[in-house]
Amino acid sequence: MKTGFSVFLAAFVALGASWYGLVYGPVKQLGGAKETTILQSSDKWPLQRTGDATLGLQIYRAAGCAACHTEQIRQTGAVNVILLTDLGVHQPADFKEFMKSLMVVPELMNYSNTIVGNLENWNGELPGTLYRGDSGDAVSELGKRLKPLGIKTEAGIVARGADIARGWGYRQSVAADYLYDAPVQLGSLRAGPDLSNIGVRSPDANWQLQHLYAPRSIVKNSTMPAFRFLFTLRKKMDGQDAPDALVLKPEFAPAAGYEVVPTAEARQLAAYLVSLKNNAPLYEAPFTPITAAK
Amino acid sequence: MSDEKKSCCNPEAEPTVTRSAAPMWIMVVTLTLLFFGGLFMDSHGGWFDAKVYAPYRSADELERFQPKTGGSDAGARGRKVYEAVCGICHGNDGNGKPAQAPPLAGSEWVTAKGINRLTHIPLEGLAGPLKVGGKDWNLNMAAMGVALSDEDLAAVLTYMRTSWGNKAGEVTADDVKKIRAEIGGHPQPVNGEKLMKLPE
Repeated sequence: MKTGFSVFLAAFVALGASWYGLVYGPVKQLGGAKETTILQSSDKWPLQRTGDATLGLQIYRAAGCAACHTEQIRQTGAVNVILLTDLGVHQPADFKEFMKSLMVVPELMNYSNTIVGNLENWNGELPGTLYRGDSGDAVSELGKRLKPLGIKTEAGIVARGADIARGWGYRQSVAADYLYDAPVQLGSLRAGPDLSNIGVRSPDANWQLQHLYAPRSIVKNSTMPAFRFLFTLRKKMDGQDAPDALVLKPEFAPAAGYEVVPTAEARQLAAYLVSLKNNAPLYEAPFTPITAAK
Repeated sequence: MSDEKKSCCNPEAEPTVTRSAAPMWIMVVTLTLLFFGGLFMDSHGGWFDAKVYAPYRSADELERFQPKTGGSDAGARGRKVYEAVCGICHGNDGNGKPAQAPPLAGSEWVTAKGINRLTHIPLEGLAGPLKVGGKDWNLNMAAMGVALSDEDLAAVLTYMRTSWGNKAGEVTADDVKKIRAEIGGHPQPVNGEKLMKLPE
């Protein structure tokens, strides 16, 4: 074969390039990922799961939750916001004049149109938006200039995107969030809501158990199947409810004299769901909670 | 023999490999694609930085969205922690609640020049008599600050010292860290008398 070497070389380059791009590159980039630190804090992220929650991940996997639920928040942008929260002894009209005179400061000059425009539309109500845009420098400069005058401001970074607007999370999911997940349950279909932040939205394990046993007892039009095999239906002992028996609405409750108790698997799954949180700002996904983001 | 040379035109001859120059237009198209691909990767790729995720396009852009420390954002953070941890007893207005918690607004312990005594209170808890604004209090407070990070505790103490008419200096995370290290693993609840023995 006259062209054997060329064919070998072409195949080697094609396979080698994909191996480099799809295997070696990602491993080099994120393979050594460790715990990171939460922004402006010395607390570590992600939180190590409890034993029950670690086992619960396997129940989540076995029950096929990832077929209908994702665990990834998307973000389309971010915006730096500075809000005026307290004018101190100053009057709104004076404040507007002062701000206009401040626009000669080099750090603020590029943003003067935005800031003055915001002030024109501002009717003196607090909190008022001074600036929203992509410049963190403009925000910190404004904060620095106004502080000595007794004028209080709050600055923050707000993540934007459809998922965040739906209330599914605070910021996009990043690799660090999945450090203790094995296997990672990203999911690709959203027949149900995203669960990245379910532990913040519904932190009550009993709520989770009730919802697993009878989804429609909590969300009327839910299409989620009831996971009744995770629960035991049994006769009440001495006619008394067990302490862990589910408290169900009458139309979902078992026949008189019977009770529904969660199995260990159900408890583990609920512990896992409660452990899913997306509320820590990280360097790679910054946000700061501010009072009134309008 | 002449058949072999003309193999290209003889439908019955075995096909053989021949060499020919790649057409020029393929080169041009490939190089143009590479050029624009390179431009796109340069502006959107974040240079394969493990910390840069879309929608951020570069480390510089991500840096612009980092909260600035010591700036005006400390106020927001301090208030958030205060309302979650302290406000239940001391009131969100800092005026305290009768027979429950003394006021923080105008309290000489909060607005003291040095921050050492103030910082000891959330880190060690209170047990016993304490005079606040000329009134005697005798209550217990758990060491509410132990579970807070240095940054959160510094932010909340700063918030107390600069809100509700209080005008005192800031508390930094380093201050808290130092005092926490001095206390070590054996916090002992303080009271007015013990606090006065501490350096200001």
